[in-house]
Amino acid sequence: MKGNIIGKRIPRIDSVPKATGTAEYTVDLKLPGMIYGKILRSPLPHARIKSLDVSAAEALPGVCAVITAADVPMGKFSFFQWLADKTIFSSDKVRYVGDEVAAVAAIDADTAEKAIELIQVDYDPLPAVFETEEAMTADAPLIHDQESNIGFKVERHFGDPDNAFESCDFVVEGCYKTDRVAHCCLEVSNCVASWTPEGRLSIWTNAQAPHTQRQEVARILEIPLQDVRIINSHMGGGFGSKLVMDMKLPIAAVLSKKTGRPVKIQNTRAEEFSTAKTRYGYTMYVKTGAKKDGTLQARTVRVIADNGAYHDKGPATLNFSSMMFATLYNIPNIHYEGMVVYTNKQMSTAFRGFGNPQLTFACEVQLDELAEKIGMDPVEIRRINANTPGQKLQCGAVVPTCGLRECIEVAAQNIAWKEKYNRKDKLRGVGVANMVHTAAGGRYYGYNATDSFIKVADDGTVSIVTPGLEMGQGVHTVVAMIVAEELGLDMKSVKVLSNDTDLTPYDLGSWGSRATFVVGNAALATAREARVVIIETAAKMLDTKPEFIDLENGMAVARGPGMPEKSVSMGKLAAYAINNMKAPISVKGQWADDIPEDWDIKTEFVKNVRSFAFATQTCEVEIDKDTGEVKVLKFVAAHETGTTMNEMLAEGQIEGAVMQGIGFTLMESMTLDNGRVVNDGFLDYKLPTFGEQPEIDVQLIETGDPHGPYGAKGIGEAGLVPTAAALANAIYNASGIRVTELPITREFMLNALREK
Amino acid sequence: MKHEITLKVNNDTYSLAIDPWRTLNDVLREDLNLTGTKLGCGSGDCGACTVIVDGRSISSCLTLAVEMDQKKIMTIEGLAPSGEELHPIQESFVEKGAIQCGFCTPGMELSAYNLLSQNPHPSEKEIRESLSGNLCRCTGYNKIVEAIAESADKMKPKKKKGRKK
Repeated sequence: MKGNIIGKRIPRIDSVPKATGTAEYTVDLKLPGMIYGKILRSPLPHARIKSLDVSAAEALPGVCAVITAADVPMGKFSFFQWLADKTIFSSDKVRYVGDEVAAVAAIDADTAEKAIELIQVDYDPLPAVFETEEAMTADAPLIHDQESNIGFKVERHFGDPDNAFESCDFVVEGCYKTDRVAHCCLEVSNCVASWTPEGRLSIWTNAQAPHTQRQEVARILEIPLQDVRIINSHMGGGFGSKLVMDMKLPIAAVLSKKTGRPVKIQNTRAEEFSTAKTRYGYTMYVKTGAKKDGTLQARTVRVIADNGAYHDKGPATLNFSSMMFATLYNIPNIHYEGMVVYTNKQMSTAFRGFGNPQLTFACEVQLDELAEKIGMDPVEIRRINANTPGQKLQCGAVVPTCGLRECIEVAAQNIAWKEKYNRKDKLRGVGVANMVHTAAGGRYYGYNATDSFIKVADDGTVSIVTPGLEMGQGVHTVVAMIVAEELGLDMKSVKVLSNDTDLTPYDLGSWGSRATFVVGNAALATAREARVVIIETAAKMLDTKPEFIDLENGMAVARGPGMPEKSVSMGKLAAYAINNMKAPISVKGQWADDIPEDWDIKTEFVKNVRSFAFATQTCEVEIDKDTGEVKVLKFVAAHETGTTMNEMLAEGQIEGAVMQGIGFTLMESMTLDNGRVVNDGFLDYKLPTFGEQPEIDVQLIETGDPHGPYGAKGIGEAGLVPTAAALANAIYNASGIRVTELPITREFMLNALREK
Repeated sequence: MKHEITLKVNNDTYSLAIDPWRTLNDVLREDLNLTGTKLGCGSGDCGACTVIVDGRSISSCLTLAVEMDQKKIMTIEGLAPSGEELHPIQESFVEKGAIQCGFCTPGMELSAYNLLSQNPHPSEKEIRESLSGNLCRCTGYNKIVEAIAESADKMKPKKKKGRKK
């Protein structure tokens, strides 16, 4: 779609403040009287706390408060409260290097750090376990008071895979592993907590889901929800790391309560690497069977996800990857078994893709193995099995729109697949992978709706209050574009107000590629409400009928048969509504996902996703035989957008996600020594830099969507879902080395090349 | 013991008494409230804290403030020519979609400024190499490269360091 605004390459509305350094992030915030908090964390992966002595810390000049488990509510907490397993501070035992033990607040950060060093903790070390499959054995040390370290299990079953495998012409089995990687937001996790004299708590923090974090803070502190307010600022990256409340929020709140002063707590970069959570590492046992014509008949998987020491988004990650597992291709016989397993490591959490990048890596690498066995081109097997628009899948999902076939064609063509596949020269090769992802978040809260408000000011500007959470992806810009499009305004005339739970309507936050879809739909509904009121007002003012009024260039223009063209500016019109009609223009709009009332998430889990987006990525790599370096020469990322809202922002999402996918595939890995993260800085934890980023040919395929705003689908996460598989398949094509474990380091490649 | 120093930041002169262990980053952000200079890692690995000192880019997190006595420092707040909202580099970052979360942006722009003041017509390879010390987790870098190339073009033809709006 190309509107006046929608579909155009419009710069972000927050880009000037960001370009000039005036955009304020939480980490820049300073409140009058503010003091500095610091958390004492466990140095051991698993140990009993024998004793704790804070007296020396308390005696240090400049220290305002020292708190331990004795000073905070000790109810257990988790994102899914039915899995609650973590207290604010550990009182009896610590379960990972970084577990919160105590905290101080002091007049400056240096004093707080000194005070932390003065706290004496006597630990009794316990045997620790770091690998999931080791943690599942009968004699593994138990991390929680439970019968085993398996924390949650889920199963999905369709058809009869066992029988179906018997009748398949080709069957491939294998084990695939992905590592735990860090989000590496450039702005570290931080917060400032402060209480009003009336006893209300405000927390300024970088949160992706302020309304649910507000509930989490109230829950863990055992205070009424109405007493908590969460305020966001510009946010230096999220990627899933800032969905669930970090313990520094309640800790800062208690320190602030105790001292009567605002308290700031900010991670160091090393703390961020050690405690800010990681992607769930997946170990996946996958089996796929097909007929000799390439049609997929059966697929099973057993996923073992590395939970770390406490629960977080594990069930959501497993559930979501099970959905995508059942939806990517229409496979009649499916079994999915997933579990999260406790280890003595930092917690895992959501990370761009909710388990789907992990599972897609395994499934799409195995599909290439299957194609090879059949003697079929990897592009061809994907073409044969691709879903089509309107298809109802065996698992129950319906894909109303599906651009997968177009994605495959353009991705293959733009990488010059026919010329480059199997060329077998100079260790160069091409690879391909498909993916499906949610384009609209998830419904597992049983609720997927939100509101926004619009007011028209007598200066001609329009303000929208939206809960859309801007973490850098551009949702505020998209909201402003929708308002400008509907009301015939330029971008400068639209103001977006957000970032405060006291101001914004309830919303679930920015995750699951849902913001443009859900918040965008609410903005569209609100803008259309406003349009009706504005046009009615203009009709009265211009003495004509509403159907003759159009909104363009900041004016309401009346054009009708046999009448001279008349117009009035938005500002005059708003003033007329205020002064003459005594009815200032302000409206509310809502979008609510029509979740079936009888929906049972357990049996009809595929209905968790409102809309799907498909994609194909292809890439070309060259492997350096002397260093093992995998040089990524080019990526083609063909993604279904439904309707592209803003080409520049959509490209940005996909280019950035592909880069994160390249990091996930080729370089990123946490190195542990007895549970301690050794590479806890950017020098040793390698991120892709300018040099590693190849040319990325982003192709945006517009298929429409029956539910998205203007037919748009969410695309925030999709870009890194197929990246690892496409790269691993290209590496195989270049070298004959089949990689089943991430990351594919230079060391691994060099050894594999030598062994060949 | 605190040291008395004079910092010339952008067009302002500050007389300060500071502890010798404090970094330039800390003093800019905490004492001068110039929070456009970010802190990403504190160990010189990410480039978010980049500032220009006597015409050269440095990591402000690795620089002791006492060393900066009498030096001329430019932060992101001083990049746009006086009376203008944006420098051509900033303008290109905005127009090319080179910004997402924006946390790396001030450091990126100052590293780009440093490059373009030494090499007004950099090749793509030179841009990538010169900025390899600046990390970005959002954009995938390519739009930043495009923005810097475009700003070099914008800054090229004008003789008197001019710029077009």
